[in-house]
Amino acid sequence: MNLRLRLAIEWLAIGLLATGVVVAALFWRGTSSFDNLIYDHLGDVGRPDADRQILLVTIDDPSLAALGKWPWDRKLHAQLIEKLQAGQPRSIAFDILLSEAGDADSDTKLAAAMAAGPAPVFMPLHFNTPGSDGRAYDTVMPARLFATTANGIGHVNILFDDDGIVRRSALCFRPETLSENWPHLMELVYRGRTGGPSTAALRDTECSTELLIPFAHAGEYAEISYSDLLSGKTPDQMIKGKDIIIGATAAGMGDNFPTPNGEGGLLSGVEIMANMLGAIRHDNFIKPLPMAWVASLSLLPLWLLLIGFLRWRPRVVLLMSLATLGMILILSTGLLWRHVWFPPGAALLGLLLVYPLWGWRRLQAMSDFMSAELRALEQEGEVSPIPVPQSQATDLVGRQSEALAGAIDHMRDLRRFVADTLADLPDPMFVTDPDGKVTLTNDLFNQRLGRDITDMPRSTALDLMVADEQRALVDRYLEQAHDAGNPPEFVRFVSRQDRTFVMRRSEVRGDTGVLHGHIHYLTDISDLARAEAEREEILQLLSHDMRAPQSTIIALLNGEIDADTKKRIEQNARRTMQLAQDFVEMARMGETEFAGEDVLLADLVREAADSLWPLAHERGIKFAFYDRSDGGFVLAEPDSLQRAICNLVDNAIKFSPDQGTISISIVRSESEPAIIVTIADQGRGIAENILPQLFTRFASDGEQRGRAKGTGLGLTFVQAVIERHKGSIIADNNPDGGARFTFELPEAPEA
Amino acid sequence: MRVVIADDEADVVVFLKTIVEELGHVAVSYSDGNMLTQALVRETFDLLILDWNMPGKDGIAILQWMQSSLPERPAVIMMTNRSAKRDISDALNAGADDYITKPEDRAVVAARINAMLRRNAGSGAFDAEAVYGKYHLNRIEQTVSVNGKTITMTSKEFELADLFFRNADRTLSRNYIMETIWRTTAALATRTLDMHISRVRAKLDLQPENGFRIFTVFGYGYRLETIAPSK
Repeated sequence: MNLRLRLAIEWLAIGLLATGVVVAALFWRGTSSFDNLIYDHLGDVGRPDADRQILLVTIDDPSLAALGKWPWDRKLHAQLIEKLQAGQPRSIAFDILLSEAGDADSDTKLAAAMAAGPAPVFMPLHFNTPGSDGRAYDTVMPARLFATTANGIGHVNILFDDDGIVRRSALCFRPETLSENWPHLMELVYRGRTGGPSTAALRDTECSTELLIPFAHAGEYAEISYSDLLSGKTPDQMIKGKDIIIGATAAGMGDNFPTPNGEGGLLSGVEIMANMLGAIRHDNFIKPLPMAWVASLSLLPLWLLLIGFLRWRPRVVLLMSLATLGMILILSTGLLWRHVWFPPGAALLGLLLVYPLWGWRRLQAMSDFMSAELRALEQEGEVSPIPVPQSQATDLVGRQSEALAGAIDHMRDLRRFVADTLADLPDPMFVTDPDGKVTLTNDLFNQRLGRDITDMPRSTALDLMVADEQRALVDRYLEQAHDAGNPPEFVRFVSRQDRTFVMRRSEVRGDTGVLHGHIHYLTDISDLARAEAEREEILQLLSHDMRAPQSTIIALLNGEIDADTKKRIEQNARRTMQLAQDFVEMARMGETEFAGEDVLLADLVREAADSLWPLAHERGIKFAFYDRSDGGFVLAEPDSLQRAICNLVDNAIKFSPDQGTISISIVRSESEPAIIVTIADQGRGIAENILPQLFTRFASDGEQRGRAKGTGLGLTFVQAVIERHKGSIIADNNPDGGARFTFELPEAPEA
Repeated sequence: MRVVIADDEADVVVFLKTIVEELGHVAVSYSDGNMLTQALVRETFDLLILDWNMPGKDGIAILQWMQSSLPERPAVIMMTNRSAKRDISDALNAGADDYITKPEDRAVVAARINAMLRRNAGSGAFDAEAVYGKYHLNRIEQTVSVNGKTITMTSKEFELADLFFRNADRTLSRNYIMETIWRTTAALATRTLDMHISRVRAKLDLQPENGFRIFTVFGYGYRLETIAPSK
């Protein structure tokens, strides 16, 4: 199974598992303790102030001390009611159960006080759990007298959460057996005042919905001690217009409950009632978010994070997980501000579950993958042996990582090996991708071209390489190579640098046969090409230039042999020899390094002329020396340089008129340390049209007649020698007629 | 005098034999290197004209053998088709006394053979005056005059000219020249000799027109050649 599919499946599994856990936690309220903890700690968020319109009349310890042990005679209650009614409160509610009839006189007095008005008086009922005769509970009404007198009877059920803390209440209670709702005592107080049900009660179609009570700080509600009120210490305006709730706060009366108001203390039942009434009046109950919403809000961030896992890098995943946790807490707090309670426990649980799970599965998957890949790499054998690293890591993944690192190092070495091999290839090469862009070149190639063509399109690269007239040829080769059949194996072209190359192209394909590009190998065959050209010239020399004088000799021998014939035979023989000599010298020059020695140039020139004196003398030709070289030495190979000068002098003699003078001047250059030699004759001069090619080999061939005829290698040889001596030569015509050859050689410094 | 010619080309042997006999000497010839060495051990010769490429033993090998094994050595002229500077200097340094590159004019060959035989005969006359062609040397005054015109020369230049004239047609090594004229080879810039020769050449106008030419044997030395009167 490939890594991607495996990860996808595991991802889904983790997501579903986390979803299941979240749903279960919600359903079985698995996280209620945590949620309660959070809720309690968030108690200050939107904590309301005590309602100043509510006054508690408390049966506290001082009252017990003043009025005696509980229960009291109900006459006391009657007196209290009377006192209260005198103060004109808005309503009076008893948070004291008066379920059984007491002393009849007292009861009557109390009932009378209740009925006297003007404020309505409300009484609580309560339920005994478990009820008698197998019922869930028994409904315990106030004593009949009170039940009929009271303006309303409501329940005062205290709802305990799982942890025994009182956080919520319902505005009505629907007993199982009755279709009638018992409204809460405080709801009755509210109705008694406005005549209609509270907004909170109206909003909830099901009035028994448990609402969370926003508790004011404990003790904030105004209260008066029962005994103080009875003894008349309370001014009437304290009571006027207030909703009065009478209840017990004395420690011994057992009417105290733990509430989440932050101080961990107990709150008396009567103060809980006051808080409820405040919430009803201000409509600021905290409504628990409906289960569907809680589930959505719990699962949505979970799945968003899961999707993120697929895209983000591990570090980002961690950060995002932490961020999501924070966001949920913030969301919870924010909603609480708006009087809506979203328990974050399940959502947090899901998130906390999913991150390590994912990390674990991913690590496992990576581990398996690495093992498989390493095994595959070893089995392929191409890169074996993979060096096994010394296992120092403690766990499996660590060891695998090391093995992988080892394999990667090995591959890197291989890659460097390949790169070095390419760079050191003895021939220039470049690689193109399938789009024809140059992706790789080796050093030799860059060196040859003098620049780096990497990233250039192939055609631009070829523009730089191939001489214009050869371009079509190269392009045709590169096009043809695509065709099946029998494409040519290579193409030969001349570069812009005037070198001759053979280019061979081969395809690079991956394991799957996809074309990755082409490798172009170039081979510099310039030397070979030049050798070829030289061979052509040798053949030319042997087949024509050497043969011609020999043929002449044979022809002459067929005729009468007289003095003139002998001389012509000698001349032809000498010409052959000179050709051979020039040719040998030329070949030697091509093969050996220049090895000059100190030579007095003027004397070398003189001796060259001396050696040809017999030829000149025969025709009455004289040499006129003009030596102003002042003993200038040059670095020379005397053999070849003397031959070259001889060729020039010989040429001058050949084209001089009889009795002519050949001027040979040897002077120092004015501009640089060099010596200039000029050899001028009085012949017809050189035809203008062959001047440019005078020094090319076999310039005498073809239609070029006259001056250059018969010189053969001569002038080419001369030029080659002069250039070998780092000098230069030019040919022109004297203004007053005759050819003039001038060459310049650098002077050798004194040793 | 007895001249031995060692060459495997019959035409060349005939050409050389004719020259030697015209000069009034006796000529013997061998065309095989081994036979030549046997003859050299058995007999006495005044001059050996030696070809480079020969069957049996080549010219250089024979020169080396002579240096090491022959107590009484004849003068040797190496005469071959090899014309490269290196070949010439190799042969001269291996013990040849002169070197002639084929083909060469009959007159030149004759002059060189003659010069070699003359040296061997020990021509050591030092007259106060001597005449070489158009050059009159006065060894006391150390002057040279041409057509009655006296040419001023330094002492060293005169000695150099005199050395050349007396050894005309013989190849003189640079060391020999320097030892003879300067009595030393040390501490003498190599260019000094070239410069002196150049000045002698220029002052005396030694050129074929005047019957002489100075020929540089690169890598070895110099030779003053007499030019035969035009044929």
